[in-house]
Amino acid sequence: MNERLFPCGQTRRQALWQMGGGFAGLALASLLDQDGFFTKHAVASDTTNPLSPKPAHFPCKAKSCIFLMMNGGPSHVDTWDYKPELQKHAGKAMPTDKKFINSGGRAVGMLSPAVRPFRPGGESGTMVSDFFPRIREHVDKLAVIRSCYTDTHAHGSASVQMNTGKPIIGRPSLGSWVTYGLGSENQNLPGYVVMLDKRGGPIGGQPNWSSGFAPASFQGTLFRPQGNPILDLTSPGSISRTQQREQLDLLAKFNQEHLEMRPGGTELASRAASYELAFRMQAETPDAVDLSGETASTLSEYGLDDPKTSEFGRNCLIARRLVERGVRFIQLYSGGGHLEETWDAHESVEKNHGRHAGETDQPIAALLADLQQRGLLDSTLIVWGGEFGRMPFTEGVDKPGRNHNPYGFSMWLAGGGVKGGVTYGETDELGFAAETNKVHVHDLHATILHLMGMDHTRLTYFHQGRDERLTDVYGHVVKDILA
Amino acid sequence: MFPPQRQLQLQIERLLCFCIFALAQTTYAFESDFERDVAPLLVMRCLECHNAVDPSGGLDLSTYSSMVRGGESGSPIAIELESSLLLQRVMHAEMPPEKNGKSQALSSDEQSLLREWIKSGAKWPNGRVLDPYERTTTKRAGRDWWAWQPIAPPVATAATTSESIDSRIRDSLTAHNLLPAPPADRRTLLRRLSFDLIGLPPTAEDVAAFEQDAAPDAYEKIVDQLLASKHFGERWARHWLDLSRFAETNGYERDEVKPHAWRYRDWVIEAMNADMPYDQFVIEQLAGDEIPNRSQSSVIATGFLRLGTWDDEPNDPSEYQYDRLEDMVHTTTTAFLAMTVKCARCHDHKFDAIPQTDYYRIASSFWGGPIGQRNREWNGGPSKEELGFDVLGWTDLTNAPPELRLLVKGDIHRPLQVVAPGALTGSPEIARSFDAPPSDSKTSTRRLQLARWIVDKRNPLTARVVANRLWQHHFGEGLVRTPDNFGFLGSPPTHPELLDLLASELMAGEWRLKRIHKMIVMSKTYCQSSIHPSAKSYTEFDAANRYWWRAERRRLDAEQLRDSLLVCSGRLDRSMGGPSFKAPISEEALEGLSRKGEAYKASPADESRRRGVYMFSKRSLAVPMMAVFDSCDTTAPTGKRDVSTVAPQALTLLNNEWVHGESHATAARVLASSSDQEQRVSAAWRMLLSRDPSDRERLAAIDFISRLQASGSVGDNSDLRAFAALCHTIVNTNEFIYLD
Repeated sequence: MNERLFPCGQTRRQALWQMGGGFAGLALASLLDQDGFFTKHAVASDTTNPLSPKPAHFPCKAKSCIFLMMNGGPSHVDTWDYKPELQKHAGKAMPTDKKFINSGGRAVGMLSPAVRPFRPGGESGTMVSDFFPRIREHVDKLAVIRSCYTDTHAHGSASVQMNTGKPIIGRPSLGSWVTYGLGSENQNLPGYVVMLDKRGGPIGGQPNWSSGFAPASFQGTLFRPQGNPILDLTSPGSISRTQQREQLDLLAKFNQEHLEMRPGGTELASRAASYELAFRMQAETPDAVDLSGETASTLSEYGLDDPKTSEFGRNCLIARRLVERGVRFIQLYSGGGHLEETWDAHESVEKNHGRHAGETDQPIAALLADLQQRGLLDSTLIVWGGEFGRMPFTEGVDKPGRNHNPYGFSMWLAGGGVKGGVTYGETDELGFAAETNKVHVHDLHATILHLMGMDHTRLTYFHQGRDERLTDVYGHVVKDILA
Repeated sequence: MFPPQRQLQLQIERLLCFCIFALAQTTYAFESDFERDVAPLLVMRCLECHNAVDPSGGLDLSTYSSMVRGGESGSPIAIELESSLLLQRVMHAEMPPEKNGKSQALSSDEQSLLREWIKSGAKWPNGRVLDPYERTTTKRAGRDWWAWQPIAPPVATAATTSESIDSRIRDSLTAHNLLPAPPADRRTLLRRLSFDLIGLPPTAEDVAAFEQDAAPDAYEKIVDQLLASKHFGERWARHWLDLSRFAETNGYERDEVKPHAWRYRDWVIEAMNADMPYDQFVIEQLAGDEIPNRSQSSVIATGFLRLGTWDDEPNDPSEYQYDRLEDMVHTTTTAFLAMTVKCARCHDHKFDAIPQTDYYRIASSFWGGPIGQRNREWNGGPSKEELGFDVLGWTDLTNAPPELRLLVKGDIHRPLQVVAPGALTGSPEIARSFDAPPSDSKTSTRRLQLARWIVDKRNPLTARVVANRLWQHHFGEGLVRTPDNFGFLGSPPTHPELLDLLASELMAGEWRLKRIHKMIVMSKTYCQSSIHPSAKSYTEFDAANRYWWRAERRRLDAEQLRDSLLVCSGRLDRSMGGPSFKAPISEEALEGLSRKGEAYKASPADESRRRGVYMFSKRSLAVPMMAVFDSCDTTAPTGKRDVSTVAPQALTLLNNEWVHGESHATAARVLASSSDQEQRVSAAWRMLLSRDPSDRERLAAIDFISRLQASGSVGDNSDLRAFAALCHTIVNTNEFIYLD
């Protein structure tokens, strides 16, 4: 980052990779170094291993980030954005001066208040809907931003924007930028993990966790909560571990002879070493999802004993285990596939959010409590939110659902470096559009990077003639929510 | 790029005006100083913002009169120059303003030049207009940049063109006291050549025959044979598909299939195989619908313009048209010209001689097409009636497209002047505006004029760019190592004369690419070993091998790796063309799709053994095995893929079921070849590496097999499984995946 450009217009790091260094040789050296090998060798590990830990731009608290992606677009007026005015206007038409794109050309019904009551929580008294009674207990840990807005009303592009900054596919995602900037603390696990909802991926698919124009080393790794968490982690059933070890030994022998005839073949040495790293990933990765060492009460806290909460609960618990193991960026999806399988409450907010909040409220509360109890909340940034919000009006007389709303929505942050028990920004009196202290997706990204110790204007990747940034030419850190 | 700091700016303008009052225009004496000292300074440090096109704060420092006229803040006021606030501000580093938190302050030398100039009356040669692009500075390229200069005609130095490649390489080696590597052995050379030209390995028999052929033209015969192979087009089309951001779906919400996209892929393969002249190759892709002898084939070629991502539900359709324009401008100017013209969408290019108007001149070529929101079923293109064929192609909807205005900061709500269609202006000798079409024309003919400008033999970029791409794919690196950027932030050619030699040879040979391929692979430079006796000391001097003192060792790319596994297993289906197959993807990998079951149905296994170039590319789903080996992004043109070495690649080759399956099939072939274990071991090496094993390798392999069998870990069918394990191990070796 902010390194002097090489003559070819690349940073030193990019240039070194492309010179064919590959990473694994030195990666292995640094890995072994972590284990106490090679202590006498000064290994410049940062130059070749794209995922080796790198210093932040400035000191910060957050070392890891867990992004709780509420896929489909939760309704802010029904969750975090308390709008008593909306009660007064119930049944009236949307004022004509409020212009909006009616996504999908759906029926435009009348203004309609929150479907569940709000109540104050914690010492801060922040109003939280009854969709989240358990998270409400932790509201003093949260900074709720009620003035978010984005640029697009369709799931596919809005989701890509929340993940990559722009509604256009092809850019690196937030997790890619974070691992590009900071590397990861544990080389035996992927640095950037994405856990999807069992019902499916987000609309748009892979571009949501892609590394875009940045090297593939920074793309999100899909991680499954049971069995083999990552693709091709273990051999087909017929291949025994003994056989694999035999093969690796034979492979090492062949590679060694090959290398001896090719003095100075650093790329060859790197690749040979990557096999040892792979072997270790095979050992360590399943352990990250093995919950047998967790106590019954922990499992119960996360909701693993209730079919409703068990899936998201397991993912939250695994997220904590990944944080403990030094994984840099973890994204959990709530909701997958389409429409009511996600937070996309077109039919009924009560029914839809009842289901999705019901699946996630307890696990998220447990995650906040557990991280705090283990002293990890200070070093873990939690982000909660979807790709946009929903309209203050319904979709018709008998259709108490709400359509997409990119003009205003809520998100919250907690943990590493975040000021708890505060709200920031406001939408208008109806909760339609962000009005005061507006926070664009770029601002949110700038703030997340800031909390992770990075200046969003300095985290650049040179691509096709331009120093690209997550925030393009925009973005302001929301300083008021920093602890 | 940040919004202008209005306050500060207004202040500075005022200050500038203060001091400009006393300036005098002169017609004598100071011209040389102005040209030597002042003009470069103003161009480099002031004109970026204070230019005639979009003068920051209304202040334009490009002419004497505009300087005197001053900015928006009023007329100049007389003050003492020496105490001028301008100089103070400059000296206090407030102008130029800081950028990204970094000071842009003038150096003390620059400050004193400015002070001296103002002190002596700020003389300005009569009529002199400063042009931000007039010269290359330490900050940016001007029109004198190397890439804009005419291609130097070759000086005849050698009997054959391959020898003239070698002589140029040798000259630079000699100049640095370097010696080339010895020639590669024949097996190494044949593997290199075969993977390069057709993307597939030679068989052991091919290698043996070549090793035994003592004829002086043994190598040349093989070169000709491979260049004539139908597989040549499959290999070289893949490089072009990377540049044309080829994929077969739209991306976004529905990620729908682009019908007939595969016909474009086949068109490229056929063009490569038929050695279509490159000028025709360019013209058909940009304007195959506008050429006089238009045909279904030439219209398919315009699919080039249709391959980008397409959002059928953009938030703001009128704004989205401009995003589509950018895709077309960017792909066209990157693939053919290696210029980052897209950077000038919102402002003049920061580093190259590409004013913002140039972006719109080019963009207007595409403005007459179906770029706006229309019937979704047409996938962002013309209907088949409009196109005239039921293929994926592009055409104008009118011969008089609506006017296209320059947008301040790319903002559609801030249109400025209408920009007339035309070509880039970096090379004034060939810059031209496009003519109106004949009145009976159905299209605007702008794309045709653009294409003809691109392939104008005086265009300094086109031939260099494609020659460089050929060199790059044969050597691993280009002569210009940033193949998609010949501008200021790219790297200059390591061997400029050689690049020009190749470029002019290409044009002299009627733009036939195969001739240049042959010229390159027949060179001694190409045929040298990747192992050099002095590698250690040479590496210290030239680690990046910029002087080509040895061949570069290269990792197979995703397609080469996959295809060669299929060759080894004997299961490669060599049938060409037609709709793509959908590679088998594990259920786990499909979890990323929002419509899991419906969105992707793999083809039956026996249809999935065709070459990688025929693999269906869906934008919402990267095929894991290809992605992990750095197959490229499909949203923007890619002239050079990343080459990473990461543990997940090892996991893929160690554990992936498909890789095991191919190893197993290879082992079955091995077993069928002989009943003798030693013979079988040799057969495994020959099939996978096209050579015999060394004694040590043979012993290690026999030992490995007997130990596996003794341990019982390979179960009943033990010969097959043991040999499958051996083959699988060889597939994982560096020798298998790296080409010397």
